[in-house]
This record gives sequence, C-alpha cells and structure tokens, in this order.
Amino acid sequence: MKLAVVVQRYGQDVHGGTELHARYIAEHLAQHAEVEVLTTCANDDTTWANHYKSGSETVNGVHVRRFRVSRSRRAAASARLADRVLHHTHSLADELKWIEAEGPASRSLLRHLRSHGGSYDFCLFFDYRYYHSFHGAHAVPSRAILVPRAERHETIGARVFRDVFRGARAILYNSPEERSLIQAIAGNPQVPGVVVGAGAEVPQNPQPGRFRQKHNIRGPFALYVGTIDERHGCGDLFTLFDGYSRQPSARLSLLLAGEGRLPIPTHPKIAHVGVLDDAERFDAIAAADAVVIPSRYESLSRTALEAWALGKPVLANAKSDVLKGQCLRSNGGLCYQTPAEFAAMLQALEQNRWLSASLGKTGRQYFRDHYDWRVVERKYHDVLVQLQKSEPRTAMEPIPRWSDCRRCDVAPASDVLRSTS
Amino acid sequence: MAEFNVRSDSINVEQIMEQIRARIREKRGVDYTDAEIQQLAAARLEKFIDPDKLRSNLLSEFHRVRAEGDTPVALDAVVDESVLFETHRPWLRALRTLLRPILKLFLNTKALAALSAHAKADLARKSRDQMTFEVIHNMVVEMTRLGIEVKNLTMRVESMQSRLEFNERRARALESVVVYKPGDANPVPPPARPQVHDTRPPEEFRPRQDSQPAAAPAQTAAGAPAPSGADGAGQRRKRRRRRGRRGGTGQPWAQNQPGQTGQFNQPAESAVPGDAMPPQDMHVDEGPDDGPDDSNGGDGTEHDPQ
Repeated sequence: MKLAVVVQRYGQDVHGGTELHARYIAEHLAQHAEVEVLTTCANDDTTWANHYKSGSETVNGVHVRRFRVSRSRRAAASARLADRVLHHTHSLADELKWIEAEGPASRSLLRHLRSHGGSYDFCLFFDYRYYHSFHGAHAVPSRAILVPRAERHETIGARVFRDVFRGARAILYNSPEERSLIQAIAGNPQVPGVVVGAGAEVPQNPQPGRFRQKHNIRGPFALYVGTIDERHGCGDLFTLFDGYSRQPSARLSLLLAGEGRLPIPTHPKIAHVGVLDDAERFDAIAAADAVVIPSRYESLSRTALEAWALGKPVLANAKSDVLKGQCLRSNGGLCYQTPAEFAAMLQALEQNRWLSASLGKTGRQYFRDHYDWRVVERKYHDVLVQLQKSEPRTAMEPIPRWSDCRRCDVAPASDVLRSTS
Repeated sequence: MAEFNVRSDSINVEQIMEQIRARIREKRGVDYTDAEIQQLAAARLEKFIDPDKLRSNLLSEFHRVRAEGDTPVALDAVVDESVLFETHRPWLRALRTLLRPILKLFLNTKALAALSAHAKADLARKSRDQMTFEVIHNMVVEMTRLGIEVKNLTMRVESMQSRLEFNERRARALESVVVYKPGDANPVPPPARPQVHDTRPPEEFRPRQDSQPAAAPAQTAAGAPAPSGADGAGQRRKRRRRRGRRGGTGQPWAQNQPGQTGQFNQPAESAVPGDAMPPQDMHVDEGPDDGPDDSNGGDGTEHDPQ
C-alpha cells in the first residue's frame, strides 16, 4: 500500500500540533506501508516563507517531498477576509480568497497531486482549513482521506469546507466530539468516519528529579505545556491562577513550558522554562502535580494524552467540549467552568493524593486502551484495508464556477456554528 | 479540603466535580454577578414598565411631579373649564369670553375640561409609575445583593462560632491537663477527698431560699466536713465559701480528680507548667462540652452514676 501524507510543514524542528500529529502518523505507518510525505518548504506558519530546499529528502526514515510555496502569507488580507467570512454575509469567492490568503499556496504541490495522485492508494490530508487540504482533496477526491483536526471554532462554518467534508473518501476524527461537530455542520453521515486520534511516544523512565534540578524547581507545581497565547487560553489561565494563589492554603506554583506572544505576568508563583524538547517535556510532566489545559479550542489534546500516559491528572477547561469529553471518558481529569471551580479543583488535586493518583491511574489505563500506538496503528490499518476493498460512495462537489461564486448570499460562518450548538 | 466519598479505583469524575461544585455553592452561596442581578431584577419588572427610562435624579423628579400634579391648586386649575378659553392674546381672550355662551351651546365644556384633567392626571400617574418602578427596581437589586451578603455572613458567623466552640473545648481540655503553680516546681497534689454521693437535684432546680440549710455536707478545702450552723450568718459564710470554690477564685489551679469524666486523667507528677504551650499537633478531644459542672458543687466530687 502506498500512502501520501500531505501536511503544510514537516520536519523534526517543527513543533506545531498538526505537524507533530502528521509526523508521528507518517513514521508509524511507514513501518507497515510505503509512505511519502508531501509538504512545502515552509518552516514558519506566520509567513509560509520558503525555508527548506525543494525536492526529496529522508526524515527519520520517511521519504519527504517538498514543494515551494508560491505566495507568502498575506496577514492583512487574511485578517480582513476572515472577518468578512466569519461575521458577515459574503460570497463563495470571499471564502476561496480567504483560503488562498491563509496559505500555504503551493501550485507545484497541487500539480504533483493532479499528475501523480493516481500512484498513491490514499492521500491523508491533515488539517481541513489550509490551502493544501482544500485544493488537494479536490485534486484527488477518490483517494482523499481527511484528518480534519477541527475544533469548535467559527472557521468550520465556512461553506466551502462543507463540500470537502461531504466529498472526502473517509474522515479520520480525533474525538467523538469532533465527529459530532462536523456531521452537524456538513451533514455527512454517509462518509466513512472513524475516531482514531494519535498516540504519544512516552519514555519508559522519565526523570522528574533531573528536570527539577536543572531548572531549580522546588515544591509542587501545576504545568502548562504549549503555545503561550490568548488563543490557547493562557490569558485566562494567568487570571485564574492568580485567584487560586491568593488562597492561604494554595501551595502549587504554575510552570509554563513553551513560547508565545503573550507576555507572562510577574508573579512569585508563575515561572517560565521556555521550550522543552521531547525528553524534557516528559520529565516536566512527570515532575508536575497536575497538568493544566486552559484552551477552548482543541480537537485532541496531546498534552492531556501525554499526562495520562505518565499517570498525571489533568485540569481542563470545560468550555472545550473535546477536553470535557476526554476527561469524562477517561476519568483522568477534572474540568472547571468558573474561577472558583478552578481554584477548588486545583486545591483538590494538590491536597487529595488519592484523588490525584486515582485520576492518573484511570487516565493511564484510558491512554493504553485507546491511544497506545499499537491501537492507533491497528485502527489506521483496519480503515485503510476496508477502504481498499470498497468502492468510493461519495463524490466531491467541484469548486464553484466564477459566476456562482459572486452571489453574496452565504451566511456568516459564526452563525452556522451557532446554529449547531 | 474535605474528603470525597468516592474511594475506589474506578472513580467517577463527574461525581467528583459535582461534589466540588456543591461544596463551592455551600461555601459561598449562589454567586450572582452584577449583570445577573440586574437581569433578575429586570426580568420581573420590565413586563410592566419600560426600564430604559431610568433616571438618576429620582428624588428631584419626585418633588417635581408632586409639585405639578398633586398640589390642590394645580388640580383645581386643571378641572376648571375656564382653562379651555385661556390664551395669552388679550384680544382673543376677549373674543372667546364674548362668544363663550355660544360655544357652550355647541360643546360640553365641562366634559372637555374633565377629559383634559384626566389626561394630565394620566401623565402624572405614568410619571409616578416610572419612578415607582425605579424605586422597586433598585430595591430588588439591593435586596438580592443583601440576601446574598446575609447568607455569606451567616455562613461566616457559623464558621466562626464553630471555631470558637472548638477553641473553648480545646482550652478546657488543656486546662484540665495543665497544673501550674507559680514558684513551685512540684504542683500541689490533689487533696484526697472522700467520695460523696450528691443526691441533691441540679442547682437550677433547687429552691432559692437563703434560710434553707444545706442538704449535703459541705467540704472544706482540706476535705473535712464543714460544721453546719443554724444561724443565717453562718449559712451565708458557708455559701460564700462554696461559691468561691465553684468560681475558682479560692483555688484557681485546682487539680481534677482522677476518674473525672470527659477530662484527661493525668497524675500530678507529669503535669507541665501552665505557660508551656502544648504541641501544635496535639490531639484534642472534640467531644461534648465537659466543663466544670456546678451541680456537684464544683469541688471535684463525682456524681453517682445511679
């Protein structure tokens, strides 16, 4: 079986959630099938500037084919079009322009898919909102398997994505909540869809003491791992933690691992250790008393999975239905809605050792049952074999013609999302 | 943090979160934001009157409406039909006065005047209703806020009360343990007293008659029975002595008798000085209040369990 993994960026020095997801899947599927990664030369997702050389190379034993980005990201145009698409009545042309402005627009990648798409059994497109997924799925619709990584964000209400969700050969979801959301918006129950997710490479013997010694950390702490910005809920996290730390019995500190644009407040109990590599990240999780996930927009929280894999409890934002669902299904974490709940739950995790240990234990079991790599690989294998045996049941709607695109009658994406909730 | 009642390996996160939320509700009451309070207040009243016309100069508006609408002079002026013919132009006023009988032939000017008065009264009433609405609105907001505050304060008082009771019990328990006599390294051993079976009813049920002789033999500090006298002065002296012992003024550092219920039974040799603080983690019995019982005279004698 020959598979193509199509993703916007790829490399060992690329740490985005989608990119890591694609890389891990490619590396694990490469053990069972012939896998080729089709990606761009971009390294920076804010500009999509060409960074790597175009052509072929091998990364961790996986063959990677890079294509040049035709046009850098136009941030101003993208923001203007996003506002129009998300919040105002607009035309399909606006949505297509928005996808192009978001990028990464690579004509050569599309040409390759059109000309050589038949040589792959299936093409796995990661992240539905990017240019390569939208146009790539239209280029090879009968082979297009979408890994949408969708969260409850207004973007998903855009009309053009509905056709992709309806016309893909199959969709591999990260969570049941993601499947419900997409099916509610696109109305695509006929499209084969399986909740698969992704595993996590967890070391057998993480060294929490090493991490504490290196960063001179004493005392218990809650850990946040990821991009430090408003979109990931870090602003709220700072406020919530400040409220918690005002309690006389509060003993936990907050440790931030990652980088971002949001300034970190000066607080005696908030510390920042910068970006951690994989080994250090696991050491940090093993050293933490709890892992905090304040983001509202998640399709699958890798941090939560890694925490559970190491037997650590999770404190998550209940406004993310995915995180809430994961916590309830796994019995491995608590979900807060208000500042009072955040403080009380953090305190409960800190002071009730049995609670913390039980949550970690059940979380670890959940991880082993559903997100161990063997389980994920088996799911991928079953889906691909089943798809190989069956004929395509759906047909992709072509991209609308010029005349159809001009009618300004498409509802705002935010309204579409609101109508499903 | 209180314990959860789920203690098996297969824990239920939903249940735990619900317990935490219930505890937050118990501790803090139902939290309302200002916006929610406003919404609560508006939800009931906006059906009747438009809340958009809220004013800040409420008192002055009240005064103005009262001055305009409620004064008897103003009402008389409104009801008077002559207002129908009023004008600031003298020549027109004169003409109207001249033609007034003819006009009255065609029109019921009294009815017109009454209608005019009703219209003005309606306006005044609406204005008053608006202000009444404002007052009620403000009252509802404040009442809701006060209700929440009272609930919080009640819970704080209860919490402080329980803490106070706990501290009192702790202090009593510690007092019963500690014997300290200034300037004496060896605390005074408790006087050996014969066990006296007090058959008297509790003090609060005894008749309060000064002339009645004591039914039980009084004990002196040395343990000898006090001679009972018949004269009132002797009785008063005995009562004073007893009161002194009960109140602890006569023998402030009295050692509890061994076997006294609800208190530590500690030999005098192991007693520590009174100013030595007990260890912080010392276990203190939080049982029922076992303080000195006046019914047995406070002299360390035991009640007969029978």
